[in-house]
Amino acid sequence: MASATDTAELPVVAAAATLPTDDPHPETDGHRWGMVIDADKCTGCQACVVACQSENNLALNEENRVIERRAKTWIRIERYWEGEWPNAKARFLPVLCQHCGNAPCETVCPVWATYHNPDGLNVQVYNRCIGTRFCANACPYSVRYFNFWEPEWPSPMDRQLNPDVTVRTKGIVEKCTFCIHRINRTKRQADRDGRPVADGEVEPACVQACPTTALVFGDLNDSDSKVSELSHSKRAFTLLEPLGTAPAITYLKKVDPSHVDEHEEHGH
Amino acid sequence: MLDSFRALLPRLSPKQLIVISGLGAVLGGGAIAPVILLIVLGAMGGTITGPPEQPIAFDHAVHAGKAGIACEFCHRGIPVVENTATALGAPVSAAATIPSVEQCMFCHSVVATESPEVQKIRAAWETGTPIEWVRVHRLPDHVDFVHDPHIRALAETHPSFTTAQICATCHGDVASMTEVEQVRALNMGDCQGCHRENSAPLDCAVCHK
Repeated sequence: MASATDTAELPVVAAAATLPTDDPHPETDGHRWGMVIDADKCTGCQACVVACQSENNLALNEENRVIERRAKTWIRIERYWEGEWPNAKARFLPVLCQHCGNAPCETVCPVWATYHNPDGLNVQVYNRCIGTRFCANACPYSVRYFNFWEPEWPSPMDRQLNPDVTVRTKGIVEKCTFCIHRINRTKRQADRDGRPVADGEVEPACVQACPTTALVFGDLNDSDSKVSELSHSKRAFTLLEPLGTAPAITYLKKVDPSHVDEHEEHGH
Repeated sequence: MLDSFRALLPRLSPKQLIVISGLGAVLGGGAIAPVILLIVLGAMGGTITGPPEQPIAFDHAVHAGKAGIACEFCHRGIPVVENTATALGAPVSAAATIPSVEQCMFCHSVVATESPEVQKIRAAWETGTPIEWVRVHRLPDHVDFVHDPHIRALAETHPSFTTAQICATCHGDVASMTEVEQVRALNMGDCQGCHRENSAPLDCAVCHK
């Protein structure tokens, strides 16, 4: 864990000085999809990781891939140890594409393979990507993954691919889409029924799989939605906030008396 | 070479220019002719290649044309809109779907049972072997095409259209085709052109998955 002094030495002020002046969330009539992740509810069970892996046709991460640090999971659970044995505590933080309002990945792509769509999503167009990996390097959250190999599945898992999601080839960058195929499907259905999309109707695979409802998804433009409500919680924070990326994902701080005390002691 | 052509013939499309310059090169230089031809064929990739050979000589001109059977009577994945003559209440699926052998047998257990092609259907029905129809319209895997919004949009903008006319917008006059073939390029330019004309969304993520 970084101490208070370490944090002060990071060049966050310089980054903040070069912030784009554009409004990261321009007013739109449409949706602005967002997520709230409650660190207090996350048990680190990895159900979201498994759900994402099978929903989005991600190849299995074999042991070698992990050793090579080339393992690919669009959502990963970061684990932090707090305290010393025997009073050590594990803290979990699911990290996925933050769908930033000021996305550093979008400005560096030379071919517009990644862009912000009208629904506030950071979209990756796979067949436009030429694999420069600039975006993956620009991403402060390390949630963009380059395909170093063609994806492979041991039989019979190659027969359970999701037809709504492309199988990405070697040589391109991919990342969490907020399950855009589910969003599009729900929007189509709502359009067909002649009604707006209801709050909680769209559920990405990770949100659907979470057994403790630590992950909540919805429309941030709808002030009555559950995500809007939760994102204004006192416990709310965003990852690497000083970078000014304006993420669409809000985290809720862990509620833990000992944790709070510890913070006060160290003067954070 | 392309530039000189472009100066001479400014009104031709890039693809036409490629074809013309390709033909010129083929006629002019015999040695590199096969190479140029391959480049030209490559540039024309995705264009229409004629009707594929089907396992059974199913004739749309007879069924959809002469008999006047509505498209959605057999292709039951087509969503029901007001224009559809036979509102079957089909479940909405992304694809129009190929009818099952059972559906052929609705009629062909009594109609034209002596025809050798119908005999093939009967054989498939009795042995339980699927008929391996060759797909005519196939979009790339990275395209998320769903029939429903397109049919609804066309039904809204053209209230007088019948289902067959709606389908013909992209599939051509299938009712006059003995062997069905692809009539439109159905590549990204084709899709986008139509989306622009009809103020349909142009966001990449609407079609690309």
